[in-house]
Amino acid sequence: MSEPVLRTENLTRRFGGLTAIDNLSISLSGGRIHAIIGPNGAGKTTFFNLVTGLLGPSSGRIYFRGRDITGCRPYVISRMGIKRTLQVKSVFPDLNVADNLWITRQARNRFLNPFRAATSDKETRTRVEQTLQQIGLSALAERPAGTLSYGDVAMLEIGMALISEPSLLLLDEPTCGMSPAETSRAVAKIRDLARSIDIVIIEHDMDVVFGIADDITVFAQGAILASGNPAAIADDERVREAYLGRPEDEDFMEEASHA
Amino acid sequence: MRDTVLLLAMNGLIWGLIIALIALGLSIIFGLLDIINIAHGDFFMVGTVLAWFSLSVTGNFWIGFLVAPLIGFLLGAIIQRLVIQPIHGVAALSIVATFGLSLILQETVRITFGATPRRILAPIGGTVPLFGVDYEIYRLFAAAVAVAALAGFFLFLQHTRLGIWMRAVRHDRETAIAMGIPARRVYVMTFGIGFALAAFGGAVAAPITTVDFRGGVDVLPFCFMAVIIGGLGNLPGTVAAAVLLSFLEGLIQSVADPTIARISSLVLMSAVLMLRPQGLFGGFTK
Amino acid sequence: MTRRFIEMALAVAGAVFLVTVPWSIPALIDNFWVSVITEILIWSLFAASVNLLFGYVGLLSFGQALYFGFGMYGVALGIDRLGLSFWPAFGLGIAAAMTMALVSGIFAVRLSWHYFAIITVVFSLIFYFLAVSMKPLTGGDDGINFTLPPVFRLDGKAIGLTDPTFQYFFVLAAVSLCFFLMYRLINSPLGKGFLAIRDNNLRASLIGLNVYALRLIAFVMAGFLAGVSGALFAFFGRYASATYMFYQVSGEAVVWTIVGGAGTMFGPLVGTALFIVIREIVSSHWEHHSLIVGLLAILSVIFAPRGIVGLWNGWMARLGERETVKKAPSRLTLRAEP
Repeated sequence: MSEPVLRTENLTRRFGGLTAIDNLSISLSGGRIHAIIGPNGAGKTTFFNLVTGLLGPSSGRIYFRGRDITGCRPYVISRMGIKRTLQVKSVFPDLNVADNLWITRQARNRFLNPFRAATSDKETRTRVEQTLQQIGLSALAERPAGTLSYGDVAMLEIGMALISEPSLLLLDEPTCGMSPAETSRAVAKIRDLARSIDIVIIEHDMDVVFGIADDITVFAQGAILASGNPAAIADDERVREAYLGRPEDEDFMEEASHA
Repeated sequence: MRDTVLLLAMNGLIWGLIIALIALGLSIIFGLLDIINIAHGDFFMVGTVLAWFSLSVTGNFWIGFLVAPLIGFLLGAIIQRLVIQPIHGVAALSIVATFGLSLILQETVRITFGATPRRILAPIGGTVPLFGVDYEIYRLFAAAVAVAALAGFFLFLQHTRLGIWMRAVRHDRETAIAMGIPARRVYVMTFGIGFALAAFGGAVAAPITTVDFRGGVDVLPFCFMAVIIGGLGNLPGTVAAAVLLSFLEGLIQSVADPTIARISSLVLMSAVLMLRPQGLFGGFTK
Repeated sequence: MTRRFIEMALAVAGAVFLVTVPWSIPALIDNFWVSVITEILIWSLFAASVNLLFGYVGLLSFGQALYFGFGMYGVALGIDRLGLSFWPAFGLGIAAAMTMALVSGIFAVRLSWHYFAIITVVFSLIFYFLAVSMKPLTGGDDGINFTLPPVFRLDGKAIGLTDPTFQYFFVLAAVSLCFFLMYRLINSPLGKGFLAIRDNNLRASLIGLNVYALRLIAFVMAGFLAGVSGALFAFFGRYASATYMFYQVSGEAVVWTIVGGAGTMFGPLVGTALFIVIREIVSSHWEHHSLIVGLLAILSVIFAPRGIVGLWNGWMARLGERETVKKAPSRLTLRAEP
């Protein structure tokens, strides 16, 4: 039985009186696209924050391909091969698009050379150009990332995920705020990536979730409510209740029942 | 020897109460407008100068208690409108702006008031025996005034509309605006009140310190210490820290020279910043 | 008139001007201004140390005067107390400044930017007061004077900074070398790492950059620049004083940098030159030149928030492009920690 890509053991995270993640023991195996869904405040992003080291757990442990990464610093976890995107699109606004990709690639090196000119690194330059083509932003290479449209920033983030050659990619609501056209583009890219990278994706857009996920885990109040393949989840009464129980998420219920 | 310790400790305590007023002004400016106000010590200095001018023009010292905060408030409001607002409160730019302001204030005072430091005679003379030491009555009076002003300020924050608005904006800017609180007006008022508090502190302190265009330079770091050690956004914490620090410095001064006392406060402040940046009494982390 | 042509022409003109100063200035104006320009070069290097941290890494240090002071006293005490000759004293000043930067940086760069700014002042104040209280050693605010050893000996003849022309060229060479090193740094992989941290330090850690380590490296490099300028200052004035470690000195450098243009190569030079020239010109006619300085600081942040060089870059960008460019967000908007 192969080692799960990501595994937690009784993971708990409290903020004062609030328990955001409650005794979570999850196991995600490789080679499949995992989606994590759930109502707002269920702890999905907190879970990502714990895995990537931005938060430390109150108790419990986290294992990445068998390695205990509990309590490691974010950049250490990143160098191990776990990369993520953030809910609010986050790139380097004053750097141009090419440089955003460039530095993402270079960040893997333990030592950043202070003497040679950045442009002299051929290998990185080639990879940057390849990635620009893959995400379709070659024309915008010289533009400061802060001036890009929302959809282009999202593609840049995916490009940064690509060029860093992660072993595990965590996507936090990647299609949030996108038009339908941009969403299809992004979904296609994610499917591409999934061929060589293990992906876990947090999403609210049920079309996207039921379209690409191999496994779905439903979070509610910091714990797993249900998990299984898309068909099982769509039929699950408890899942409907979890969404129904919060009036502001009524449209999620709608989408879940039509999936 | 025991007399000196007591004397210096009491001086420290009383000075701390006055500084608390000034530091409070800095705290609300820092807490609400996110501005590191380099000119704040000069706001205090302007207060001392206004007290001196009121005295020399009218012959009455007490008028200064009214004139200083009033003019301070007006100046503060005008400065906020003319200088701070156009730069949209961008923190780094406001540092340069308040630095420029500090130069302008100091130089203007130097032009009008002159470069020689002057002293004001305490309006209430005489001493009173206290704990075996003959203590200046005016200092005790100043402490009482400071306490009254502090109490008044906290009542203002709790019970007036503007006070509630200020607390709301400090707590959650966006929600406050969404609820219809006129944030811009609150900023103008806050800066004005900050200046007024410092100026009032200056007027109260004038008889026990020198009136000098460079008088703000020493006060500024001390106010920042009080704000940080007390906890950013924690107003009662700022007051407590100001009093505590000044009291401690007074104590240390009785066994070592003032420079050592100042160094100790600074070292304490570094320790707090590194180990417990939210301050000894807890505040919002920035 | 393309952008490249204009910038090249300016660069050449600037270089020619700087190289001919010891002859052109006395002929056109006055000998005294040669030493003013020498001072401008020294202080612009100090401003560059602020600029490296603030403009390229996003850390606003208000305490660079501390490392300036260590460089200054390293030279002064090295010559006066330890009897060192020129180069060892220079080296001592720089080493002292960098060591101090390392030690204080270890603690300081852990903090978010508000607290970082404050702790840099606190550290510099602590040492200022220490310097003042150790008057026998440092001369306190009055300072210590010393005689300058020669820079090197040629055929038995000693050549030193007592010759104003040699002094000018020595300072020019040192400052130019430092600016050149900065230029190489900014365009290197490490430099790009700095920019990433400046722009978005959360994202930087997520892509694998060790934000703490990189900030510390930058802090020590800035300490180097401040130390060199302090050492040059001591050589220039044969003098060292605790006054130059006070926070107002640091504050002035911050103003020069931001008014000149933070995050640009020549911003610190332009800003420093502007303020020092104004100070010299105005103070000879009117003693209240600080008013002008203060007003200039305020006006420039309101009307030229990206600094003079930033303004220039904006004009050049418009010149160099045909399509309209959306205005990039102000680089000076420091993002709050999440």
